[in-house]
Amino acid sequence: MLDLRIPTGGFFLLAGVILLALGLIDPNARAALTDVNVNLYCGIAMIVFGVFMLLLAFRAAKKAS
Amino acid sequence: MKLATVDYFILALYFVFVLGIGWRLRKKISTSGDFLTSGRSVPVWITSLAFLAANLGAQELVGMSASGAKYGIMTSHFYWIGAVPAMIFVGVFMMPFYYGSRARSVPEYLKLRFDEKTRTLNAVSFAVMTIFSSGISMYALGLLLQLVLGWSFTTSVFVSAAIVLAYTFLGGLTSAIYNEVLQFFLIVLGFSPLAIMAVAKAGGWGGMASRLPSVMTHSWKYMGSASQNPMGIEVFGLVAGLGFVLSFGYWCTDFLVVQRAMAADSMSAARRTPILAAIPKMIMPFIVIVPGIAAVALANAATGYHLPMKNGGPDYDQVLTTLMAQFYPAGMLGIGLTGLMASFMSGMAGNVTAFNTVFTYDIYQSHIHPNAPDSHYLTVGRLTTIGGVALSIGTAYLAQHYNNIMDLLQLVFGFVNAPLFATFLLGMFWKRTTGHGAFAGLLSGTIAAALVHGLTVAEGKGGWLGTVNTFPSTMAQNFWIAIFAWTTCFVLTIVVSLATRPRAEAELRGLVYSLTNIKHDEGVSWYMRPGPVAIAVGVLLLFLNFWFA
Repeated sequence: MLDLRIPTGGFFLLAGVILLALGLIDPNARAALTDVNVNLYCGIAMIVFGVFMLLLAFRAAKKAS
Repeated sequence: MKLATVDYFILALYFVFVLGIGWRLRKKISTSGDFLTSGRSVPVWITSLAFLAANLGAQELVGMSASGAKYGIMTSHFYWIGAVPAMIFVGVFMMPFYYGSRARSVPEYLKLRFDEKTRTLNAVSFAVMTIFSSGISMYALGLLLQLVLGWSFTTSVFVSAAIVLAYTFLGGLTSAIYNEVLQFFLIVLGFSPLAIMAVAKAGGWGGMASRLPSVMTHSWKYMGSASQNPMGIEVFGLVAGLGFVLSFGYWCTDFLVVQRAMAADSMSAARRTPILAAIPKMIMPFIVIVPGIAAVALANAATGYHLPMKNGGPDYDQVLTTLMAQFYPAGMLGIGLTGLMASFMSGMAGNVTAFNTVFTYDIYQSHIHPNAPDSHYLTVGRLTTIGGVALSIGTAYLAQHYNNIMDLLQLVFGFVNAPLFATFLLGMFWKRTTGHGAFAGLLSGTIAAALVHGLTVAEGKGGWLGTVNTFPSTMAQNFWIAIFAWTTCFVLTIVVSLATRPRAEAELRGLVYSLTNIKHDEGVSWYMRPGPVAIAVGVLLLFLNFWFA
């Protein structure tokens, strides 16, 4: 059966890369109430989570085969 | 709120993944069991998160931040008192009967334990209720997108319904469960930055406390009497009404959530499902309630944030979306909005999949067309998915046009649900309980609920039979209706059971506590067994209650 960690990791890795790119291209993009580069930090967090999910999935697949 | 191209792109990306999961899972479906019960093969970490996420729908994100802004940290009672103890109970004590009896649904357990009429009563009321919940979820989504983004109501309803239909039709329950888990991660990753930033901007918990009335930052301190707190409820009504009757009635008997645990791949995993789900459930208030509290503190602190207004009063339902607009730039805003839409859609999908199973097995197979080959029921299950989504759309429009009918229906569902837990408790733990007793108890409990509503008044609601008592809030009224309904059902079930002929004990093996040999979880390490996990969760729960008392 499909390992859910693969699509989960994939989605958050892609979304994280998009946010990270936004944060780097336009580091001054701010919503009204923050002085933090929200996209940059959230992008990094999502990439870390996505890669972690994919690593778990690959480890499980290796073990199974 | 205005979305940029990148926000739409993120939303579209999510839809691609959701539909992709459904497409990949379609090959796995060959029997009605695969489609309607996931063939009992889903890993425990997935069933746990789905158990939580199936309930994390429309009302939760928007409604809980609204309550946070209105009542403060007291709202966490809906989690810490109103959910976690019941989740532990269903895992430790009730799951052995749901999972072990080989019932495919909660109504089917009632059929095995009691009789056909009790099952049918429960199945029909549950089926009607899920359709309406799903429709209300869709209606709320349409309304929100119309208000926040200016999208047309019809477009929002049809696009979300089409996506839900596509992935549940292709992959059945497994697909719904998988997408609930994806949605759960999206909500945590998409909304915890908002909570962190809003709290930090408001000066941390201490800064918030200094800008808010003390009643908003204490969950227990003002519960002594109903007049001291804005919820208008006192400790007994809260603990007995919400913490016992309503909470156990929902988490322990509602097939929508129980179905997720029943999809687990072993008895031990099924029992651990709700207990493990209780851990993120306990932490949820920090993501969904705290931003609402922070919003009020921000508004009081002259940061430039103002509470959204409607008709001269605060519009709490818009607190979450206004916070998003104030804290998230294009990009992260897309993630937040996608999380919001995902939670509405998976709420819908959860209802549709539960409706499918109950309609196909408990109504169609048992009353309309029994003894057909399994492939026939698979087809019926698939067609029911289409029918369920179509009925939900109809309900969404009904809600749009006749708000009062919806309020009335939700009231009636409350009456039907309130006594349920008494029936299950007696059924599982007292072998003398009979089918006639259960049926009489359920009916009389529902009637008792309606009578209490008719004889009491709260905020102008109820009292259509006269006024015996006036409650300070409708919340207090609901809790007390539940307490009366439960007690009536409990007493009448016992009385009628004692007056009717019991079933032979041999027929009740695996269905009643005293006649079931519950196997210890051999081969599972001690720290993975339901008991130790439940104790750890309980300690954490006590800690949270003391910390925010």
